[in-house]
Amino acid sequence: MTITDQDLVRHLSEASVSVELETEDMTLNIGPQHPSTHGVLRLVAKVDGERAYDVKPVIGYMHRGYEKLAEVRNYPQITALINRIDWVSGYANEIPFIVAAEKLMEIEVPERAQYIRLILTEMARISSHMVFMASYPLELGAATPLFFALRERERVLDLLESVTGGRFHPNFNRIGGVKPAAGSGSTMRKQIQDLPKGFLEETRTAMDFIDEACDQIEDLVAGNEILLARTKGIGVLPADILAAYGVSGPNLRASGVRFDLRKVEDYLPYDRFDFTIPVGRNGDCWDRWWVRLEEIRQSAAIIRQAIDGIPTGPLQAKVPKIIKVPAGETYVRAENPKGEMGYYLVSDGGQGPYRLKIRSASFSNISILPWALEGTIIPDIIAIMGSLDFVLGDVDR
Amino acid sequence: MSPSDTTEEETVEDAASEVGPLEAFASEVAEAVGGTAEVAFGTAKIKVSADRWRDSVQTARDEFGLVFFSWLSATHWSNEVAVGDPLGDETTDRYEILCTLSDLSEGRRVTLSADIDAESPCIESLVPAFPGADWHERESHDMFGIVFDGHPGLEPIYLPTYFVGHPLRKTYPLLSREVKPWPGKVDVEAMPDEGDDGDEADVADGPSTENPEA
Repeated sequence: MTITDQDLVRHLSEASVSVELETEDMTLNIGPQHPSTHGVLRLVAKVDGERAYDVKPVIGYMHRGYEKLAEVRNYPQITALINRIDWVSGYANEIPFIVAAEKLMEIEVPERAQYIRLILTEMARISSHMVFMASYPLELGAATPLFFALRERERVLDLLESVTGGRFHPNFNRIGGVKPAAGSGSTMRKQIQDLPKGFLEETRTAMDFIDEACDQIEDLVAGNEILLARTKGIGVLPADILAAYGVSGPNLRASGVRFDLRKVEDYLPYDRFDFTIPVGRNGDCWDRWWVRLEEIRQSAAIIRQAIDGIPTGPLQAKVPKIIKVPAGETYVRAENPKGEMGYYLVSDGGQGPYRLKIRSASFSNISILPWALEGTIIPDIIAIMGSLDFVLGDVDR
Repeated sequence: MSPSDTTEEETVEDAASEVGPLEAFASEVAEAVGGTAEVAFGTAKIKVSADRWRDSVQTARDEFGLVFFSWLSATHWSNEVAVGDPLGDETTDRYEILCTLSDLSEGRRVTLSADIDAESPCIESLVPAFPGADWHERESHDMFGIVFDGHPGLEPIYLPTYFVGHPLRKTYPLLSREVKPWPGKVDVEAMPDEGDDGDEADVADGPSTENPEA
């Protein structure tokens, strides 16, 4: 029997309409242990053939109860906890909390400390986005970009480690400034050592490497037809839906919203720096990839300007030995690599917060998954989930 | 992009005595939703009555362009505290529900708040206004036991289904602290040369967290 072109056309059209074909819904469990979930996330989906409907994310496997623990700890102890919220950019987690406490205490942080915070925050952003540059193509089947991206990330983490002593959990900020540099000896002697010798020059060199790596990654990934086919036009998220779900950061900007908390909030002196906010046009997976790549370049530009303009001076404001935060409430939010991260701090004048609400970016970012995954095919679930760049520690807190 | 975009907090701090743009914005929103505005530390809190909760949020969203749903949570105000420091002042036992909205251009934001009774905490759900409120309300249901009227499915989000109690209530004990009161702030040791709290030092070392029993 030979199949004519006519047959084939009829056959294909019937299959795509599939009016006569009755299938039974199947419940598919994805996770909790799946490489693309960056932690432990489980999805329960109803699948009809290849299409998924009614996707329910199940979270909470990593809930550590930081909001309750914060109520029984004092302010200096809490930074050690909140480092672990989004462990891919641990340093950036500390900033809004410390700034919230400083706001209530009305402490003016020395300029040099602010610049150091800013440089390290941008480094955390580069390292977080580099993890995305490594893992996202990997999730779509391309292993090579991982080696380029993680090599550069290691460069940044080495620099972070040279200042803070920690690669992932720096625990470097203190209320009123930053801690003495790693290896500065006993803090009992009240010695304050500045940034390690040669740090600024090394950072400047590293930023050149980062720029080069961005070009390499762009060459490698942006020209790959398979990756383009997997991401372009896939997972289009309209801006108004994203806002209603509280999705923030690069995911929101990829859908064309030019909104960056670094431009509108005053937690660090970003208004002195010249940088652009990259935005996407279509809000698909591809745009979310591209926005993050562009943000790495912008962060490198900010770091260069900060190195040029870093003032000399003290690293710490005068603060009491025992930190007591006056009664009051404030919400401080910051542009973290993953989006809006904020702390609503309620103090009643004690040594620890009365209540600390942690607003983490990934929690809101993945709350859109049921909407975004409705009716998609199963391979696209991975493409869309990966493009949202979440970390389960940041979801579960 | 010019880096000269204004931030209201900055302006407020610069001119604390005058009415800054944040105060002006907050009182406008407060008037529209029928609440009272409190501005402190760069945060505008608008107290509204609990029975007009969803209306207020919708008004803030529609009339002031606060389209970004930032978060929703609560604070338990109570004098009865199982763990941690008790409140200094007498307070009525209540839950204060908080919801922060923001715009997506100038970064203006307000935190709406409403007091709800501690006996049977219940308030309208915001899911019809913001679908993103779904998970936040499930979280507050887990943590405080607040019931959100009109929520499509108040299932536990963080806690296992067999979990009893609401951990973020002030009356909920922290089991590890019941067993051993360490290393919380409950047993912070005084610094060696610690005379009074107001002692100014060059560096805040942070209180010792060493185990006194070790």
